[in-house]
Amino acid sequence: MKTFLATALTLPLFLGAAGAGAETALRLAFIGAEADSAYNGVLQGVKEANLQGRFLGWNYSLSRFAAAELEGLDPSPFMALIVAADAQTLLRAGRRFSGRAVLNVGAGADALRRACSQNLLHVIPSDRMLEDAKGQWRQKSPDAEIVASGWHPDFVKFAARDLNKRFRKAFSQPMDQRAWAGWAAVKMVSDSIARKNFKDPAALLRHLKTDLSFDGQKGLDLNFRDTGQLRQLILIASTAGELLGEAPVKGVAPPDAVDSLGRPSCKP
Amino acid sequence: MKHLVSAVLLLLGCSQLAHGASNRIFVTNERSNDISIINGASLEVEKTISVGNRPRGIGISPDGAELYVAISEDNAIAVVSLETLELLRTFEAGSDPETFAVHPNGNIYISNEDDAKASVFDPVTGGQLAEIPVGLEPEGVAISPDGKQVIITSESTNMLHVIRVPEHDIVANILVGARPRAAVFNNSGALAYATSEISGEVKKIDMEKHAIIATKKIADEKAKPKDVILSKDESKLYVAGGRANQIIVLRADTLELIKKVPVGKRVWGLAISKDGERVFTTNGVSGTVSVIATENDQVIKTIEVGKFPWGVVIDD
Repeated sequence: MKTFLATALTLPLFLGAAGAGAETALRLAFIGAEADSAYNGVLQGVKEANLQGRFLGWNYSLSRFAAAELEGLDPSPFMALIVAADAQTLLRAGRRFSGRAVLNVGAGADALRRACSQNLLHVIPSDRMLEDAKGQWRQKSPDAEIVASGWHPDFVKFAARDLNKRFRKAFSQPMDQRAWAGWAAVKMVSDSIARKNFKDPAALLRHLKTDLSFDGQKGLDLNFRDTGQLRQLILIASTAGELLGEAPVKGVAPPDAVDSLGRPSCKP
Repeated sequence: MKHLVSAVLLLLGCSQLAHGASNRIFVTNERSNDISIINGASLEVEKTISVGNRPRGIGISPDGAELYVAISEDNAIAVVSLETLELLRTFEAGSDPETFAVHPNGNIYISNEDDAKASVFDPVTGGQLAEIPVGLEPEGVAISPDGKQVIITSESTNMLHVIRVPEHDIVANILVGARPRAAVFNNSGALAYATSEISGEVKKIDMEKHAIIATKKIADEKAKPKDVILSKDESKLYVAGGRANQIIVLRADTLELIKKVPVGKRVWGLAISKDGERVFTTNGVSGTVSVIATENDQVIKTIEVGKFPWGVVIDD
């Protein structure tokens, strides 16, 4: 027994994916700056997707492009595109990658949500969601000097602590809202592919839009509104950066009423 | 008479009674850094002891001599004598140890949440015997009664990893609902049941085919299913409903709802007595333990314990 156990310790026996056969390659594209924290979030997401992929026989790879490269970019190798850029670049990317999911992790403009594009999915909160979150908080604390964000590096609930810890360890920087959105964009794609085995980018897009059930480490099962905006809770911090709480704000809105935060309707 | 009793004790086998089961219930209190010890007859707290910081997972050695407590903030497991209730020793158990299970051979299988691995420790020497890479945020640990299979749930990878013992290799990775939290085997090891916190589901798994054979979505939106245990006769499942503040009792064969039993706030830990008559629940926010009589699934007593009771184990 002791001999076996010693062997097990030095050579951890490990079957990657029982019966999973050859590795399937899946490609994702990213448009944005290398220095953008959203890119680090995407990299973290890809790393975690591959940790899951080793049990399922899948491997994700990521190609990064600058906004200027969009015009000549061939969408066909990619399952989905993640964009950390301004609204104009995002709209151009949406047209270029028509029929494929284009995940917005950088632009907060409400007009992008009202446009209700066929393939733009907004993982990052809209400006209006953040304003509504602050509004709810001020109903309880009228004079509070606060900021609202989709993520906070000190958030600990719902295993957010674990995610913040992993990110900080990997990049020696705190996970901010853009980094969370980048991570979440990859995770919702990889979780969906793990469950439904999508090979067709259009089928993946349909699933993300209408059928998503996704754990973004925010405590709720997350999915998209018909505007393409991800439903999610918003975090409130003091202007000095101290995490104060969450919106929907307890006592102002029911805890799971994430639609109390910034819900525009589609332009007719 | 005395001889007869001795003979009966011998017949019952020494493993359970060698150290004289005390019929006490041990509860880890995560925030008050202590352990409440409940007398199984009076159902009163008879003593509170401290063994380390942020106590969470708790278990008992197969011979009934030692209590193991994961002291997460100390990155260790504390070993306490069940006879004297004194701290015997502690051993390092990786970063932030939380949930573990004790194998029939005495070894401890623990999920290391930070490191995406499960590890195996010999609690006698404190030595690490094996480590097995698993998915992200490994949490629940379940061991089949015959000791041949271990399930580790990985919360962020949404999988049950099935590990063979003694080989310590992964033989299957079963995708389940978001944030799988806990699992339990049936007596033969042919079936397992697992909870998923975010998707609000309980799944029944065929452990020979490694296939999901039934899924129950808990209708209550607030229900974030956590711990799960099986009744002694294997007819009922008890699921801790988290902030639904209820125990959800399901039929083990069909997963149909039998009953919801209101308990304290934020219920997550569960234990069942060996005779199958009582279920104990830890109610985190309320700081209480509820005692349920399984005959009619009614709460017969609510016991005040420390702050944020987390794990519960019975020395019976």
